Amino acid sequence: MNASIIRRLGIRRLAIALCGVGLLAAAPVSAKEYLVTGVKPNGLVVIDPAARKVEKIHRIPGAGVAPGTIVPSPDGKIAYVVTNHLESVSGIDLESGKEVFRADFSSGAQRVKAMFAMDVSPDGKELFVFQSPVRLLPGEYKVEDTRIAVFRTADGVGAKAVRTLPAPRRLAILAFSKDGGTLWALGWDLYALDPKTGAVRDTHKLLNWTRENFGPPDILDVWPQFEQAGVFSTPYFTSRTDLPPTDPSAFKTGVLTLDLASGAVATKEFEDTSAVIFSSVVNPAKRDEAFSVYTQLSKIDAKGGALVKRVDLPHTYYSINIAGDGKEVYVGGTACDVGVYNPDSLDRIGQIEIPGCPDQGVASLRMVKR
Amino acid sequence: MKHLKPLNKKATLVDQAVENGQMDEVVAMQVVVGCAATFDPGWEVDPFGSVAALCAPMEADLYGCSDPCWWPAQVPDTVNTYPDWNAKAASANNDWRALQSVFPKK
Repeated sequence: MNASIIRRLGIRRLAIALCGVGLLAAAPVSAKEYLVTGVKPNGLVVIDPAARKVEKIHRIPGAGVAPGTIVPSPDGKIAYVVTNHLESVSGIDLESGKEVFRADFSSGAQRVKAMFAMDVSPDGKELFVFQSPVRLLPGEYKVEDTRIAVFRTADGVGAKAVRTLPAPRRLAILAFSKDGGTLWALGWDLYALDPKTGAVRDTHKLLNWTRENFGPPDILDVWPQFEQAGVFSTPYFTSRTDLPPTDPSAFKTGVLTLDLASGAVATKEFEDTSAVIFSSVVNPAKRDEAFSVYTQLSKIDAKGGALVKRVDLPHTYYSINIAGDGKEVYVGGTACDVGVYNPDSLDRIGQIEIPGCPDQGVASLRMVKR
Repeated sequence: MKHLKPLNKKATLVDQAVENGQMDEVVAMQVVVGCAATFDPGWEVDPFGSVAALCAPMEADLYGCSDPCWWPAQVPDTVNTYPDWNAKAASANNDWRALQSVFPKK
């Protein structure tokens, strides 16, 4: 553990306590937006994007080093973070930094990992975590069925699953519908699950699609960033089977959108594949517009199927989010900064450096409103 | 299996499964689900046959890939076996000298 970072974090918390300035408590009457990300080792970072500064860095208790998926509570007060080498989820009060919820998954000879997919119900009462259990037997590791464990958030530290739902393997994203009636799950296909029973109500085929002249799409998206527009989006990559592989137009990049209010699912190719893209976000102010990130920042007409603009970034970023008014785009993950971009020009208009320069790695970049 | 001969019991079972048509078709992974299921060679070429579209710099990608065990052959497995391999190197770009080789425990 980096001693200089610990000292820095400790001094920062002490300064906040001594000054009696609860920064989130000082939020104005109108909701203010804060970015939340994770950093090594075990840091949960609260950023004021408008002020271009890090407000707080909380320590996530226990082992873990690398924070993973982050899910904010609907009231913006708590962030649930996958920690402990994917074997626990910790709920951290974003104001005080206190751990107010914790569920440890593994016990005895059963090792349970939560790779990525997690979401909280819209009423904030239940946390849904996709888990991969393995039984450690004397002579073998026995892979068990994947599941979604459901925790009551009110159970606090030491919470145990109140029920488990059967779940398809390889889920990477969980996203609740706005009304809480459907739990969307992205894996090889996009499933609409009953949050009470886990029953698959509907399947939008992706890897198993049967589009004429198109090969199966490839999706690598482990970043939940749909809270601003209420639309989950992800890039996908596919190929035309009726064109020779030497033809550049045989390879297509598209964007998938899932409207969490209406349940509408759409896929639209927007370019001949010319860049790697990891994740995307929909503009809440212009809902046909999406922004995507990797080593380039792209602006996409998701409905019309066109690449509008693309700029190089100073380094690779994994995650992306956007202001509620659509006037600033934020790129994060990987290293120790969050870049701020103008949504029209894609000019870099700001930057937030995380003190001590700890890596964000694969941690989510979420927006909360307080 | 005309050119391969099984040398142990497990390989024999695989051989029999092939002969009996009991092998599942191998399908490319869409998302990572842990060390044992990831076969990405890593750090080689991008989808365009070059290196320009790989993460830049490599250090920006190191932990994002190694923490979820995307490169189990190249980087110590911090999910299970060497959980604290990078605990003293919060920044891959600045602290890479603290990243050491690992060896099986006796």
